[in-house]
Amino acid sequence: MTLRRNLVLALLVVLALVTLFPFLLVALNAVKSPADYAANGPLGLPESLHLQGIVDFWNRVDFGLKLANSTVIAGSVAVLAVGVSIVTAYALGIGRIRGRLWIVAVFLLANLMPQEVLVYPLYYLAKEVGLYDTKLAVIIIFTAVQSAFGTYLLASVLATFPREILEAARIDGASRWQVLWRVVVPISWPTLSVLLVFFFIWTWNEFFIPMIMLISNDNQTVPVALGVLQGQRLMDATAQSASALLGILPAVVFFLIFQRTLTRGIAVGAIR
Amino acid sequence: MFKPARLVAALVAGATVLTACGGDDDAGAGNVLTLWHYEGPDSAMGVAWAKAIEEFERTHEGITVEFEEKGFEQIQQNAQMVLNSDEAPDLMEYNKGNATAGLLSRQGLLTDISAEVAERGWDDLLSPGLRTTCQYDERGVMGGDRWYGVPNYAEYTMVYYNADLFAAHGIAVPTTFGELTAAMDAFVRKGVTPLAVGGKEYPAQQLLYQLALTEADTEWVRDFQQYTGDVDFHDEAWTHGAETFADWVAKGYLDSDAAGIDAESMGTSFMAGEFPMMVSGSWWYGRVQSTVTDFEWGTFLFPGSDLTLGSSGNLWVVPENSPNKELAYDFIDITMRQANQELLGNSGGIPVAADPEAITDPKSRTLIEDYQTLVERDGLAYYPDWPVPGYYDVLVSATQKLINGSASPDEVLDELADPYQQHVDGIGS
Repeated sequence: MTLRRNLVLALLVVLALVTLFPFLLVALNAVKSPADYAANGPLGLPESLHLQGIVDFWNRVDFGLKLANSTVIAGSVAVLAVGVSIVTAYALGIGRIRGRLWIVAVFLLANLMPQEVLVYPLYYLAKEVGLYDTKLAVIIIFTAVQSAFGTYLLASVLATFPREILEAARIDGASRWQVLWRVVVPISWPTLSVLLVFFFIWTWNEFFIPMIMLISNDNQTVPVALGVLQGQRLMDATAQSASALLGILPAVVFFLIFQRTLTRGIAVGAIR
Repeated sequence: MFKPARLVAALVAGATVLTACGGDDDAGAGNVLTLWHYEGPDSAMGVAWAKAIEEFERTHEGITVEFEEKGFEQIQQNAQMVLNSDEAPDLMEYNKGNATAGLLSRQGLLTDISAEVAERGWDDLLSPGLRTTCQYDERGVMGGDRWYGVPNYAEYTMVYYNADLFAAHGIAVPTTFGELTAAMDAFVRKGVTPLAVGGKEYPAQQLLYQLALTEADTEWVRDFQQYTGDVDFHDEAWTHGAETFADWVAKGYLDSDAAGIDAESMGTSFMAGEFPMMVSGSWWYGRVQSTVTDFEWGTFLFPGSDLTLGSSGNLWVVPENSPNKELAYDFIDITMRQANQELLGNSGGIPVAADPEAITDPKSRTLIEDYQTLVERDGLAYYPDWPVPGYYDVLVSATQKLINGSASPDEVLDELADPYQQHVDGIGS
């Protein structure tokens, strides 16, 4: 028995190392000086701790501002998209309106289409209404995209919502609105918070649409700022590693903070 | 446990954020010059242009330069959309060539600056080879009659060599094509692979083109790049290029695994002192200069060839929607003046119009003198992937086959001919 346990343990350790390897490599190269990198290659251990690359990148792209932009955009999208998803899923999952399958299918189209297809229409619309190069444009776009997925997921979750509870609430005289806010939302809160975290991280990592819509450097997000280092013919591996490290950290920190919410949400779903 | 009020509060907070970021319109015309470029702050261009911004603000009182550093990818993907909106900058760096600046000029997004070029005398500063990439015709093909951009730096390919490795093996640095191959033979005999080549990206195709250029003239280049005549991929030059390349592979001048090496690895392996030579562009120069500390190195023009790969650098272009065109012209003018050109040269770049005497660093002076030699013999032959959109990948795959020996030089040239012919046929219709 112990042999098998040890075997599984060893396997898991190897898997963990494989998963962590890219992170390690990035971290390793982020603290090397360019000369060190050229002399010893990407796999060598750094000769000394060289933090200048990280500092330089931070100042070069005004990283603090990018962090604030990304936080505002991802945060607003997460909150708004969950809000929209609740309302639409309530109608589809509990209200059981006619043709809900088709409605969900249409919603999903927004998620299934490659973003390259959406870009030109979005660009023209944004330009027409004067929202080109504003954070608001990106927030609206991603609220729509994320809530499409949220509606799909929540609608199927709410479709299995215990009817007895709903009926009990109706008998007690609750209106539809009250049923939603006093009964449905509190009970599905764990699922909602998981959605919130996912929407935040997904929006945080978006590159293409923010790159197209956010033109001026004052509006840019973290992933777009990382692109500044990719030159036409040259790339500076150490600076790129430094920037990648800075780019990953916020998402990792966010995940660690909300990690308990995530597991709780999944566990609650399981007991029911 | 759960309070709906809290969620409502969160939504309200979100909404305030939204309204707060709705009204960030730019101040617009008059006292701000918006400038975009994508050169790193430590590169020669980055250094010289930063100085030009200072100079501009000193000579234009009350006007500030709003500089935004962009990613190369961002400009490539976005240029068309940005220039078509009122968020366009007043002045920006953009790639030269038919598929980039040419395309935008055809769409009417760039200002025709011909009058300004003549009035301020920028055309006198640029050699004919450089002018070609600034001027486009109504189809957006370079070498036309209207100016849409001006470069203030240039680039070309050369041979970088590790002097210490040459000395250690008692081999002389070559000056002719014969000496070059003799030197490479000597290295091979001593068990050293003489050439660092990356077959996964541009370096191998540039070597192939360079070898073809040893048997070509300027008219051959014009026919190939500007579609002015019939291009035969089985002519003397192309055949010589492909066969010599295959011959070099057979003789072991390049590594047998070079097909899987990218440009970055090629450069870092040369800078780590693993190879005696590397044939590549001046874009490496500044980096080699700052990185290599433990061996002596130098550069020379590819021997036995009047022509070599190279062109103007990227262009300054003035978007049609720029509200401050006059200011943009003033800025270009500062970057074309001697002081700024010299700074660019002393920072490891190749100025288009500097006096080599004013360049203090001896290596940089060689770089610039070699460039002027090239200009005098009208030797800039551009790049092999320019004539056809998507040709880059065709060339990569073709040269990889040459390196792996999976296709004969003849078959490889056939592979290059087809897409080229298709594109040229398409232009006529």
